Amino acid sequence: MSDTVTIKVNGREVEADPTKPLIAACHDSGEEVPHYCYHPGLSPVGSCRICQVSVKVGEMPARVVVACRTPITPGMEVDTEAPKAHDARKECLEFLLKNHPLDCPICDKAGECTLQDYSFDEGQGEGRSVEPRRKLDKRKDLGDVIVLDQERCILCSRCVRFMEEVPGTPQLCVSQRGSHSVIETWQDRPLAGNYQGNLADVCPVGALTLKEFRFQARVWNLHKVASTCPGCSRGCSTTVEVLRKGEVKRVRPRENAAVNGWWMCDEGRFGFDAVNREGRLAGALLRSTSRGWDAVDTADALETARDMLAVHGEVLLVGSPFLTVEEGKVLVGLGKTLGTRPVFVSPEPNEWADDLLHTGDPSPNRKGLEDLGFDALPAEEILARISEGSEAVVLVGERIADSLGRDAVAGLGEHLRVILMDTHPVDSRAIDVAIGVPNYVERAGTWVNIDGHAGRIAPARQAPAGTWNLERSLDHLHTLLHTEPEGATP
Amino acid sequence: MSQFPTYLLDHAAREDSHTLKVYREHGGYTALEKALKLMTPEAVIDEVKASGLRGRGGAGFPTGLKWSFMPDPEKDKRPRYVAINADESEPGTCKDRVLMREDPHGLVEGTLIAAYAMRCEAAYIYVRGEYRLPYDRVQAAIDEARAAGLVGQNILGSDFSCELHMHKGAGAYICGEETGLMESLEGKRGHPRPKPPFPAGFGLWGCPTTVNNVETVFNAPFILNRGSSWFRSMGTEKSPGNFLCGISGHVEKPGVYELPLGLPAQKILDEVAGGIWKGRKLKAWIPGGSSTGFLKPEHTSTPMDHDSLKGIGSMFGTGAMILLDETASVTRSARILMDFYEHESCGQCSQCREGTQWLSQIFLRIEQGQGRTEDIQLLEDLANGMAPGKTICALSDAAAIPTHSVIRNFKDELEEYVREGGHPEYRGTQVPQEAGA
Repeated sequence: MSDTVTIKVNGREVEADPTKPLIAACHDSGEEVPHYCYHPGLSPVGSCRICQVSVKVGEMPARVVVACRTPITPGMEVDTEAPKAHDARKECLEFLLKNHPLDCPICDKAGECTLQDYSFDEGQGEGRSVEPRRKLDKRKDLGDVIVLDQERCILCSRCVRFMEEVPGTPQLCVSQRGSHSVIETWQDRPLAGNYQGNLADVCPVGALTLKEFRFQARVWNLHKVASTCPGCSRGCSTTVEVLRKGEVKRVRPRENAAVNGWWMCDEGRFGFDAVNREGRLAGALLRSTSRGWDAVDTADALETARDMLAVHGEVLLVGSPFLTVEEGKVLVGLGKTLGTRPVFVSPEPNEWADDLLHTGDPSPNRKGLEDLGFDALPAEEILARISEGSEAVVLVGERIADSLGRDAVAGLGEHLRVILMDTHPVDSRAIDVAIGVPNYVERAGTWVNIDGHAGRIAPARQAPAGTWNLERSLDHLHTLLHTEPEGATP
Repeated sequence: MSQFPTYLLDHAAREDSHTLKVYREHGGYTALEKALKLMTPEAVIDEVKASGLRGRGGAGFPTGLKWSFMPDPEKDKRPRYVAINADESEPGTCKDRVLMREDPHGLVEGTLIAAYAMRCEAAYIYVRGEYRLPYDRVQAAIDEARAAGLVGQNILGSDFSCELHMHKGAGAYICGEETGLMESLEGKRGHPRPKPPFPAGFGLWGCPTTVNNVETVFNAPFILNRGSSWFRSMGTEKSPGNFLCGISGHVEKPGVYELPLGLPAQKILDEVAGGIWKGRKLKAWIPGGSSTGFLKPEHTSTPMDHDSLKGIGSMFGTGAMILLDETASVTRSARILMDFYEHESCGQCSQCREGTQWLSQIFLRIEQGQGRTEDIQLLEDLANGMAPGKTICALSDAAAIPTHSVIRNFKDELEEYVREGGHPEYRGTQVPQEAGA
């Protein structure tokens, strides 16, 4: 941060960064200043004209100015609540609403729409226009991710600037002019790239919406929890949004200057299918020689696991790339008792790596696990080790079977003694014990990203009934291993 | 008009006035030579400052002062540009066309003097696309001047070099706004830029730039050759010099006339324009291009200069008078103007994009007999929401000023239209709402 200057915001002295526009200083000091075209992650254009505040510099009389294009100068006094500023914003809203369809009841943005919010705060109750509203395309398909409603659009141009300035792939433009202006892609080509989902976030109204989220939920019914994206070793800060504590409906980026700014990629944003997948492993299962699987309590399953591990000398502990630091620590401790060093499945780099966020390494806690002493091994090498030497194998953590390949896990040799601790069961004759674990929207923990930043995950809903936290399960197993098994025979 | 001293159009009246040969035969490029050989750039700016010349593009800002805003070339090593605004698009305004068509070398010389004064390495002349002959004439003049060593490297053997480039606009009024013009020159949409930063600090391609109107720089050679006190002998103290007055509308002799600033509009109407046509009476008039609003007949006693017109809530603008006779409808005229502003709004600012459309819709309703009493208040509120200074550029103001002027000066006509069912043409008829408007 460059040298700050002192200004007064609503009577309070605050330190402001003079390289930023005045609106940033207002927001940083906790004052609400309405804005549409301004976004802290995009260049300011000063076109929506809603962010009007009263500013007094020196002996000059106070003036109402747009805060997003006003440079900060030492000693300036800002009044965000001046009656003249409120009047100016009210006037501006009347223009913005002139052609807005006011279809809030069927708009996905309702509830988190700043046009709605500021109209409620500052606008007038009734419109004065008797003219028919502009008729435009309400369902313009912009590709696989985004639908555009041109009637709702207030032409703030955030989407245009986002595409130009953030991924650096200009694809949207304002075409036509004046009251005929519309957002379009060149010759109606579909949008491309891995960052389209952000358009729905930067859009202050319901003009750009996610196809995936369209008509899926009213946003006020969503339970929102701060989390971290599991998609790659960037670990973008996110908000996981769960409908009525059940299905995850949406994942959105959460501002974090050190990691992802305001953005996330589409791979990460839409990569939550696995957490909604049916057929969860709740509680635990034991292989029964006659009937397939028996459902048991996790505690009972862990006793069986202890028995298996106690009689087999050579044990391989295989962690999933989604293990948290906290889970990793417990697993390392368990390994010490068993005389083995745990490994984790190191997935192959994928094709999504870019210069912006995606690292191409689908391993959100690589650094955290390596720092704990885990060996990072590719799935093939781990599977080779299993088939070559080990007799007992513990496969640990969310989506461990996915990470190794479900078919490969299903095909493990029957002679092996395999304990699976995963979110979903795998039907394999090699697996003797299967213990359910919570996924990343059901547990708390820490992932350390590629640059060493810790990203927290937190439960947004409960794991299926009977499912223990993985740390608890591993801890319990560890304790059992130190205890003489009842009626054990050599 | 012989009662006033003239200079702006003197050369234009000569045969083949657009050629270098004829221009030089009558003293052409002597002012440039004087500047390059005898004057420092600062001395040129000082002389223009002393003349009191004000910009002829609409705002009337003192030209010498504007030129002095360019950063010190010793401290700021970026390239420097001057851009000539020849995108003359204000309804009623057609003066620069005459200068470019008949006296293109005068523009080239004036541009070079401006470039020398501000030490610019290049000048861009942004010509309205419809001005084909003026464009060709100025281009031909530049080519002739370049061949004669007057444009390009080491002009007239001095160490001053300046390139002149022409650019043809594509028919957008907004590109006549100086920052919209710069965006357009850079190859972008003509979206005006928020200020600050101002062009002198951050202009074309982010470099120091000054944008001047054609007629403004056209005055410069005369000021250098004849002196600032000569210039001040014409016009008024605060608005010296002559200006080109484009007179259009219901007059006997419309045209572009050279007149000293400060003449009462009535005198211009009677003695220059031959009075209102067909023996009719004046109903309304616009003093300086469509953005300056509708004035009443009694306002014609006002002198045509910057400060006097400002005093009656109008502007000198580009000095383009539009006169309407007693048969004209101010409401309809205002609606036509609002259609223009709606069409020409770039659409960036909410107030302007929506407001220009809304104003035109309301004026249309009143004109067609669907006006409501509350519409007059609504017009006023909307105009208050659009100006002054509430948007990035002044196009919003340009729509708000005429709206205010109609309410202030012709409210009785609006009220009559609301009461009686619109423009007389529409009374007693059922006007269908414009389909899908």
